[in-house]
Order: sequence, then structure tokens, then C-alpha cells
Amino acid sequence: MATQSNILEIQNLSVRAGGKLLLDSVDLAIPYGEVHALLGQNGSGKTSLMMTIMGFSGYEVTQGRILFMGRDITALDVCERARLGIAIAQQRPPTIDGVKLRSVLQYTLRNSPDPDEALIRLAKEAQMERFLDRSINGGLSGGEIKRAELLQLLSLSPAFSMMDEPDSGVDIEALSLVGKLINKLFVPDETHPVRRSAGLIITHSGNILKYLHLDKAHVMHNGRIGCSGNPALIMETIGKYGYNECVRCIDQKEKLCRS
Amino acid sequence: MPFIKALEPNIENNETQSAASPLPPASVPLQKQDADAIAGVGVRPDDPARSATMIVRDREPVCLAVGTSPDFEMLPVSLALKRYGWLREHYCFKAVPADFDAVSAECAAQENPPGYFIHVKKGADVTLPCQAAMYLASDHLTQAVHNIVILEEGAKLQLITGCTSKHGVQKGRHLSVEEYYIGRNARLVSTMVHAWSADVLVEPRSGVIVEEGGRYESNYIALRAARRINSDPQIYLNGKGASAKSLTVVLGTPGSVVDTAGNVFLNAEDTGAELLHRGVCTGGVMHQGGLLIGNAPCRAHVDCAGMLLDQTGEGFIESVPGLRSHHPDARMSHEASIGKLAPEQVEYLMSRGMDEQEAISMLIRGFLLADIEGLGPELDAQIAEIAAIAGHGEE
Repeated sequence: MATQSNILEIQNLSVRAGGKLLLDSVDLAIPYGEVHALLGQNGSGKTSLMMTIMGFSGYEVTQGRILFMGRDITALDVCERARLGIAIAQQRPPTIDGVKLRSVLQYTLRNSPDPDEALIRLAKEAQMERFLDRSINGGLSGGEIKRAELLQLLSLSPAFSMMDEPDSGVDIEALSLVGKLINKLFVPDETHPVRRSAGLIITHSGNILKYLHLDKAHVMHNGRIGCSGNPALIMETIGKYGYNECVRCIDQKEKLCRS
Repeated sequence: MPFIKALEPNIENNETQSAASPLPPASVPLQKQDADAIAGVGVRPDDPARSATMIVRDREPVCLAVGTSPDFEMLPVSLALKRYGWLREHYCFKAVPADFDAVSAECAAQENPPGYFIHVKKGADVTLPCQAAMYLASDHLTQAVHNIVILEEGAKLQLITGCTSKHGVQKGRHLSVEEYYIGRNARLVSTMVHAWSADVLVEPRSGVIVEEGGRYESNYIALRAARRINSDPQIYLNGKGASAKSLTVVLGTPGSVVDTAGNVFLNAEDTGAELLHRGVCTGGVMHQGGLLIGNAPCRAHVDCAGMLLDQTGEGFIESVPGLRSHHPDARMSHEASIGKLAPEQVEYLMSRGMDEQEAISMLIRGFLLADIEGLGPELDAQIAEIAAIAGHGEE
């Protein structure tokens, strides 16, 4: 793996929480301009990997390191990683009573040439104007929570965006809007769709593939990345044979490696 | 059952309705440091958008500027008591009896107490706020203030009072008796901002009498904790449809004692009251209370919420809102909650680029403002200041 071409590199990363091994010697490289998918059954370690990359507490790195733009960020806190350009749209973000969505956006857009204009424009694009003065994620439906998270990411213009199941629990119409917002996030200039920012998306259903070009997919199992390859082919296989086939294949491969 | 009623004075009624004219900039003999301190608690003597300004420095009024409206009067209270016999006879120490406690007794014992007298005549809408500052400039001084505010029928007034001490004042006492008389269908919005030195004792005693259809709104913000703040307002809703809303936002820091309680007597039909207490405690002791006494068909609610940020385990918050009903149609409710900062909320905001202190300040501000609307930008800014101070762990 040539570090200069990768925006994110995970090297031999192991993570524990509450005495339990969540990630086991994970290796991952995401080049600049690529968006990768993370697949796997519940409990396979997908969310843990994203939360560890973001630096949330409760995820203890016991081995390995995380490199971002060639810099070791393993010891940096959440704020420092955010300021380097990493952002996350969580699947179940906390509700924060009294803190308005507008207040957070005013902070994230504070250095814009016209922060008020940018706030209204982005809120309109995400169809979230009427939620600006609500508490963060307070009383929002699943689709509204996803749009609120994406709205905040759009305001940040991150170099590397992570999304935890942006397509789960969302109806077809709402998914179309979510897909549009994700595309805007990764393709800031529609006239140059190849010039993308990078990212990592967890998807269970693969529905997001209908709206977004992905460069690679990785299947996790037992805290490890067991398989990586073409996203469409992997999703097709999972669609035909289910995750159990992935698990069987990964287990078999690991047995062969050990022998 | 306390039912304190002030008798109608022999005041010539004036049916004219007029707004007070804007003030010319006041010539205030204050040093920049003092003017800045007073501005920090919301009182700006050079602000033309004020109907009147009074500044009391230690025990003397050093500034008094009043617009030219015939329907509005602001005087030093000692002068008003000498000028108007009816004031002493019918209002002075009626909402707060002189023997209420040792604080009121000490205020009553003064021959020429500092403080203000405000009188708004019938139907007058004083559109520009009136402001007053109580400033402790000398060390080891007791400032015992007596304020009397009278709103006649249909009158409206917004009053801003800022109380603070000079930088370098170590010890002192600020005692006050505040009496508010709100006539039929009159409305008073009172905002009081306190920012004291760490070793000052603050003991306000207020009494509010509200007649039929009258409304009293109070916002009390303590930007910095003093040695002790002991506030126990008594509000008497005596007329049908009278109402009151009170918001108290305080910061407690190590070594401080903050005790904010108060009683509301709902003495007539269709009266209503809402008491909101919000406290952030980084140390010290904080008591939140508020007793609603329903003597008639009424609706009332008291809500105490505290956020304990003290990691040492020495400070505490005690929230004890109370209800007492003497009438079966007195519909009253209370709630109390004490919480802490949730780490996942702090990190969520940090994931948007805020450092830890910025995130904590935003969370505290959100806690203080939750479910509270329409405060206006100045109060909003002051509450943001409390949040910033608490978030940075400063006194």
C-alpha cells in the first residue's frame, strides 16, 4: 500500500471495548477519491470500525494504527480528527435537548463567506428547514435523522465522510433524497464527477448502490475484513446466497491460511 | 393565607397614553472600568433606547436620567418617600413587610435608603425599557436597597436591573427589598442580571402584588456565583386572571451557596403561574425550590432542572418544588430533574469540529434554554455567557 495515494490506511488494527475484542487485526486502505462500502452481519464490527476511525471513546486500540493523509491519528481526539477532515453520519445519533440543529450549523458554517445564506440553502436542499430550530434529532423520524446528519456533513465539506447505514429504515422517496445528498457530498462539482472526495459507507441492504458509485466493498466477519472486491459482484452474491455464504467462504479461506 | 393588598392611592388619574421619549446620552460620572462592569450586567447609560436610567454606586444615586413623559416617573426612593405621603402610607413595606425577616428589617431601618421608585400612570405604555444598576464599588460595604415599582391600571413597563461589584471588591453585602404593585391589566417584565464577586452575600426580598388581569414576568440571571445568593420572592396573584411567569438561571461554583425559592399565592379565579428554575453547579451548594399555593381555581406549574458538573463530589443540587392546594379546582403540577453532561453528546459535538470546552458550553446553553422561548438576544447572550463560564470551569 503506497501511503501517498491513500487518504485512509488502517494497519493491523485491533480494538477492545468492555473486555470484548471488537476488531481483530484489521487492514484497510482507501485511496483518495474513492468511496468504499462496508458490509457484514450485525455484530461483525462495521460500526465499531467507523467509531474507532472517528476517535469516539469506549473503543480502545490495543494494536495497530490509523493513518489519515499519511499522518498517524491513532492518538488524536475526536475534535482533532474532525478538524483534519473526517466526519461521520451515525445511524443512531444522540438526541440533544436544547441544542438546535441551527446552532450546530452556525458553528460548522462560521467560516463561510455568507454563513446565513449557506445555512438556508443547505437546509432547503436537505428539506430540513422546518427542523432547524428543533433540538438535534429530537422527535425526528428515521429518514429525518439521516437527512439531519447529512446536512451537517454537507456543511462541513469533509475530506473523508463515513456513513453508517444511510439506507436503512428509509422509504423509496426518502432514499432518493438521501442518495442525492450523498452524491452532493462526494461529488461537490457535478461537472467533474470523477473528482470525488473519499468515504466509507456501511450498508446492509445495498440499496444505496442504486444512487452512488462505489469503488470497492469489504465484507466484515468477527471483527475482521474477510473479503474485498467489486461492490456489485459482492452484493449480487450476498443477494443470491445470503451472508451465511460469505461467512462460510471467509472461514474456509482463513482455515486455509492457517494450515 | 397571606393576601396582601395595597390600597388605592390618592393619585390623580391621567388618561393619556403615551410612550416615553428616548433619552439623550446620560452624563455619568463613572470611570471606564465601572461603566464596563455595569454594561456587563445589561445597563448601558449611553444607550438612547431607554426611557430612564438610574445608577446607584454603593449607597448614592450617581446617575439619574429620565425622559420627558408625564406618565412615567423614576426617582430615588428616598426622595419619593419624602415627596409622596401616599407612597409611605399605602405602599412602603406592604408587599414585603418590614418585619418579614432580618434583611427587610435592616433595609427598613435606614432613614434614606438607596434604590428607585418607578411609577407608571394609568394606560401608559412605556415602550422603551427602563434600566437601573446597583453597583458595589467599595470593599466590605453593605448596600441595602429599597425599590418600589407601581404600575397603574393598563400600564406597561420593561425594567432592566443589573447588579454587580467592582473588580477588586472582595467582600460585601447586597440586601434589597423590592416591591412591585401591578394594577388591573398592567404588565411588568423585569429582567435582573447579577454578577458579584466571590465573597459577596446577596439577599433579595421581593414582594409582587398583581391585580385583575395583570401580568408579572421576571427573568433572573446570575452570571457569577457569589458567596451566597438567597432569593425568596413572594408573588400574590390577587385579581381574577392575574398571572406570573418567573425564570431563574443561576451558576453555582465551588464555595458558593445558591438558594432560589419563592412562593406564589394564586388567590383568585383563573390565575396562572409558571416558575422555571435552571441551575448549573460546578461546585458549591444549590437549592432550587418554589411553592405554589392554590387558593382558588387556577393553573400553575413549577419546573426545576439542574446540571451537576462537580467532579469532586463536594457540591450538590437539591431540587424541591412544592404544591399546596386549598381549592379542588387548583390545577398545579411540578417537575424536577438533575442530570449531568452525557459524554456521547459531548463527543457528538466534537465530531463536528468543536473542542471539548466549546461542546460543553453548547450543551450547557442548550440545557439552560431548553423549553424556554422568546427571551430576546440580550438574555440569550447572557445565558450563553453562563454556559461558556461553566464550560470552561471558571468562576
